[in-house]
Amino acid sequence: MLKYFVKRLIMMIPMIVFISFLVFVALDLTPGDPLTAQFSPESISGLTHEQLDALREEAGLNDSLVVRYLRWFGGVLKGDFGYSIQTGTPIGSIIANLLPATIYLALAALVLSVLMGLLFGILSAIKHNTIIDYLSSLFGVIGISMPEFFIGILAILIFAIQLKWFPAQGRTEIGATFWVNLKYILLPALSLGLALTAALTRYTRNSMLDVMNKNYVKTARAKGLSEWKVFYRHVFRNALMPISVLICLRLPMLIGGSVVIEQVFGYAGIGSRLLTAINSNDYQLVLSIIFLLSIVSLLSSVLIDLITGLLDPRVRYN
Amino acid sequence: MRNVASKLVSNKAALLGLAIIVIIILLCALAPLMTPYNPTKPDFSAQVQPPGGAHPFGTDKLGRDILARVLYGGRVSILIGLSGAVGGMLLGVIIGSLCGYFRGWLDAVFVKVAELVSIFPQILLVLVLVTILQQSMYNLIMIFIATGWVATFRMVRGRFFSLREESFVEACRVFGLGDLSIAFRHILPNCLGPVIVQLTLNTAGFILQEAALSFIGLGVPSGTPTWGNIMNAAKEIVSINQYPWVWLAPGLAIALFVLGVNFFGDGLRDALDPKQI
Repeated sequence: MLKYFVKRLIMMIPMIVFISFLVFVALDLTPGDPLTAQFSPESISGLTHEQLDALREEAGLNDSLVVRYLRWFGGVLKGDFGYSIQTGTPIGSIIANLLPATIYLALAALVLSVLMGLLFGILSAIKHNTIIDYLSSLFGVIGISMPEFFIGILAILIFAIQLKWFPAQGRTEIGATFWVNLKYILLPALSLGLALTAALTRYTRNSMLDVMNKNYVKTARAKGLSEWKVFYRHVFRNALMPISVLICLRLPMLIGGSVVIEQVFGYAGIGSRLLTAINSNDYQLVLSIIFLLSIVSLLSSVLIDLITGLLDPRVRYN
Repeated sequence: MRNVASKLVSNKAALLGLAIIVIIILLCALAPLMTPYNPTKPDFSAQVQPPGGAHPFGTDKLGRDILARVLYGGRVSILIGLSGAVGGMLLGVIIGSLCGYFRGWLDAVFVKVAELVSIFPQILLVLVLVTILQQSMYNLIMIFIATGWVATFRMVRGRFFSLREESFVEACRVFGLGDLSIAFRHILPNCLGPVIVQLTLNTAGFILQEAALSFIGLGVPSGTPTWGNIMNAAKEIVSINQYPWVWLAPGLAIALFVLGVNFFGDGLRDALDPKQI
């Protein structure tokens, strides 16, 4: 068990290195002067051309790609991402402020989607071929057909503007408690997660129906196990594997989707910051954010793998 | 083949989906016949008119007719979705067949590449390319192809693994057929069913992706209307509430088209499934 965990974690390291190298090459290809990204504006504002050239030489900006990459990566590991051209502030502090907000959003979307998707899927499987089943299949297909931002805009129109149940934009207020923050995060999280909820409902229903017809379920019932035990120990845990594969596959979409949803709801996270950075050609910030979001994506898929490994032993011995 | 077709025809949802797809494609292709308006020329005498009268879907802030923009925009959106999906399918089929048949180091390399590509959220890859290069329709299609081959690749490769042990493959070898011929002419046709289903799913997915990217302004440049571009107007709260027709029409168009594709794809998958009668 522990061996599987450790192996999985170790396999992540070459991936992280590879992604960081790709990101650095992309950064190198962008136009613009790397000097402005590595030094704070105050320290280079008054310098002449010769002084700037000397500074470049000293900072090693004329070295080869590999050397510069290693230096950048070393800085990244220490938390130093350079400076944002837009605001002149160190990128590290921008990320520290905004990345947690995005992670909360994606996490909230994931938790809500998994809970609702599993619930609806199990319900439709248990009551299959009834009106509940039909309605949730319909919900399933419609949910994966609508663009996320469209769902978001509709939600704003209906729940925020017309019904006034939730705020339409923003992330938090001054002196906000946990419950106030919840109000702000609910609509964005639901919109972000709707597609996943719909996909999960379909998958869970099909997966459960598949398993419920298997012989070992009949055996368990014949043995006299209570319906709940049959459900949990045999049906649910066996149906879980394709479900977790689906979650793993759609996780990157949650992270990517948060970029758009943050824009729609004016939610101040790293995604909306990424968009303003692109529009102002702030390459260092753009690529630092993209690097971090990729790492988050990688980490979360490994995490889901580990959780599934806990619940379904077949995964560990794959 | 006849069996598949009959199962498909008896599936009402699939037929409905097919009808939706065909009708929307026809409407968009025949756009010049359907509306007299120019989708890109502003008309400041008729700004933000609600639907009705001369403009059945209303007009936007620059006075452009929404129905015209939806119809012309549909052409671009559907084109991008389809070409991305077809390109991805071709790439995935070729790489999947080669890896599935020859295995070895080729296979190991591509499996790792596929894993890496699928970890990256697609939107981030698009954003990286938009940062380095310009925004254009072709770059978008390129990225969709570059990220869309993975699912088809995995499917074809899986099928090849099981099929290459079959006796008909040995028979082909005995006859002296070359490897490539066996792979592409004899094994591949048996894999095409799920590949076509994946094609429909990818089309739907790419149309949604393009809409999202154009909505935030990083997809197709705003000079060319696409379904996502038109909805760019709904970024402000004011337009969400006061001019709902500007964003409702393209949003519903996207949802309806993708719904049709999903219905049809579901029907195809059920018809091709040998386990179901």
